[in-house]
Amino acid sequence: MKRIFSIVVWLAVALLGAGALGAIAIHRGEPLNAMWFVIAALCCYLVAFRLYSAFVAAKVLALDDTRATPAERHDDGRDFVPTNKWVLFGHHFAAIAGPGPLVGPTLAAQFGYLPGTLWLIVGAAFGGCVQDFVILFCSIRRDGKSLGQMAREEVSERGGFIAQLAVLAIMVILLAVIALVVVNALKSSPWATFTLAMTIPIALLLGVYLRFVRPGRVLEASIMGVALVIFVVIAGQWVADSPYWSNVFTLSGLSLTAAIIIYGFSASALPVWLLLAPRDYLSAFIKAGAIFSLAVGILLVRPHVLMPPLTRFIDGTGPVFAGKIFPFCFITIACGAVSGFHSLISSGTTPKMILREGHARFIGYGAMLLESFVGVMAMVAACAMTPGVYFAINSPPSIVGATADAGAATISSWGYPLQPETMTNLAHAVGEITLWNRAGGAPSLAVGMAQIFSNTIGGPRLLSIWYHFAIMFEALFILTVLDAGTRVGRFMVQELVGRVWAPFGRRGWMPGILLSSAMIVAMWGYFLYQGVIDPLGGINSLWPLFGIGNQLLAAVALVVATTILLKMKKLRWIWVTLVPTVWLVIVTMTASYQKIFDPSSRLGFLANAKDLARQITEGKIAAANMAGTQRLIFNLRLDAAVTAIFALMVLVLVVEAIFQWYSILSRRRESVLHESPYIATRWAPNFSGAGHGTAVGDAIGDD
Amino acid sequence: MRKAAKRTKRFLRRFWRGFREWCGDAAYESYLRSNARHVGSCRTLSPAEFYVEQLNRRYSRPNRCC
Repeated sequence: MKRIFSIVVWLAVALLGAGALGAIAIHRGEPLNAMWFVIAALCCYLVAFRLYSAFVAAKVLALDDTRATPAERHDDGRDFVPTNKWVLFGHHFAAIAGPGPLVGPTLAAQFGYLPGTLWLIVGAAFGGCVQDFVILFCSIRRDGKSLGQMAREEVSERGGFIAQLAVLAIMVILLAVIALVVVNALKSSPWATFTLAMTIPIALLLGVYLRFVRPGRVLEASIMGVALVIFVVIAGQWVADSPYWSNVFTLSGLSLTAAIIIYGFSASALPVWLLLAPRDYLSAFIKAGAIFSLAVGILLVRPHVLMPPLTRFIDGTGPVFAGKIFPFCFITIACGAVSGFHSLISSGTTPKMILREGHARFIGYGAMLLESFVGVMAMVAACAMTPGVYFAINSPPSIVGATADAGAATISSWGYPLQPETMTNLAHAVGEITLWNRAGGAPSLAVGMAQIFSNTIGGPRLLSIWYHFAIMFEALFILTVLDAGTRVGRFMVQELVGRVWAPFGRRGWMPGILLSSAMIVAMWGYFLYQGVIDPLGGINSLWPLFGIGNQLLAAVALVVATTILLKMKKLRWIWVTLVPTVWLVIVTMTASYQKIFDPSSRLGFLANAKDLARQITEGKIAAANMAGTQRLIFNLRLDAAVTAIFALMVLVLVVEAIFQWYSILSRRRESVLHESPYIATRWAPNFSGAGHGTAVGDAIGDD
Repeated sequence: MRKAAKRTKRFLRRFWRGFREWCGDAAYESYLRSNARHVGSCRTLSPAEFYVEQLNRRYSRPNRCC
């Protein structure tokens, strides 16, 4: 009876999800209510978790709860800490949820709401979640080894080195592009710049408090910090209203670039407790609060989605970024559906803290589903604004025109009516000087979020506060990724150079710290600078580059996972990781090829460089712009080279892996699995983690 | 009614513990518990020493994603 009831309930959930997805896909004409998106996403996630993840857990990975995890075997209270599954889910989600699932879907809204929403749901269920889950499982079985170590052991020595190099290269592009999002969000915005600048002294204050006054009292310090941050968001209005202070905090793109580069260097070189860690605490609380509030806001306001399901820009002529729906919708969405970077977390901290193998399903697969849901909410927030406003905020002046009148006329000619006054009134309502040409996704998402929040609390009166709260939330946690990433990048540089010159590899050696920090900051700083001076807005070239890099890293992770499954003699279920691998390789190789060789100068890096070079030889470039144009040509060629290097690295790894697979399948080579030996758990079945009821020692069962 | 109140109280207490563990507020307590299980393995760190040590470890590997 219970079984029949369960089947009926799951059938109802599946039918409801299918109905909601159908409504989203087929609906035309009147604006669609956002609730359809929420219902479709939630039902699909529930079904995917209940059925597909259970299948992967039972048949493919054969999770074994009787096997001791690294947290039990090496429990040291530091790295290896047995942690309750809900707490670890929170840790894991906080680590994987970055700006990507917010910015990517907002940019992909240029194609309309349908392609992005479908890929967010389907891509996560069959790609991203599977990658996170399987890599987490593989790392648990290998004492918490990293992706690079697993690639080295299971694929080949060269494969491991490539994976390590790919991580560093992709990290440089990631840091540059997220810094560019911050620059575009703060440019000419004294309110937002002041708010974000004030988070630095607040973090320093918390750092000193947590280090010297009340060591490790994170909760009380964070409550203090969040209160101060909310105060500076409100105080920003006074700064914006003051002619003197407004002038001080109105910064150009280049000034902001210099400020962010100096900040990145400081955060990397200063002691971690002083600036980086307290900012991270602040960011974690505000991130959790803002995402939860957005979900509640969408449920309460139930906004209408005004963007059409498909726009005319699926043909590749979009103003936000160039490229057709295939492959660029998938490249742009990136982290919301599949993220290669998650494999670093799944093979980093999480496997060292997991209590039982069985929890890997809930944590690995479940946390990625939640991240995908964040992406769907960002898509709803972006599509809930008038399409004309969306394109006005996200398009560069070189495409829509430099004046408000020209911009409104261009956007209206695309079939998305827009009056110049609409943008002026909106900018005034959110407390900004202008909202035109603010590419990067953050300002348009902030407008969408502010509209949802102000419809929940405060009405139009609080729109400007909510807008700047949303900008602060996005910029704060983007900078947290930036400073943490710069520091990790610094260690990678130290490790790589340390192979050639040993003293450089010592983590405590001050000249090494300063030099490696300067090297990593110079690398991402250069790409940031090129994005800021790019006449097409920077996002057009850097976001696809980041997306390609991220998806290629996911392909690397899935290649490693496929190799391990093959060695586990799971040939029958190999499609679980092989299908997403093949898809990602096709998508990223197509995107890489188009970004390098496409004859359109808006899409192809080389075509754009050639076009500019031709203009120079034809004398069409003024002498004053000559140096700038030559720099642009160099940057475009550099971008083409970076894309080619990404693609080449993955191709080498894929070839290595295929050779391995062939050797295993043809029995030319013995398949050696580098798993840790089986040790039975000594924990009682009801043990749920340190600090939860019974202490670890007390819960150990009889031998 | 009393049963429901008891359950709520238990849930809130667990939630609070979990929340403190999630945000790192209870990290030192976890460390002390773990240290107690490995008597004599190494010197117990003070709260300030442990705080700095765990931060240095945490921020030396990828711990924030895109």
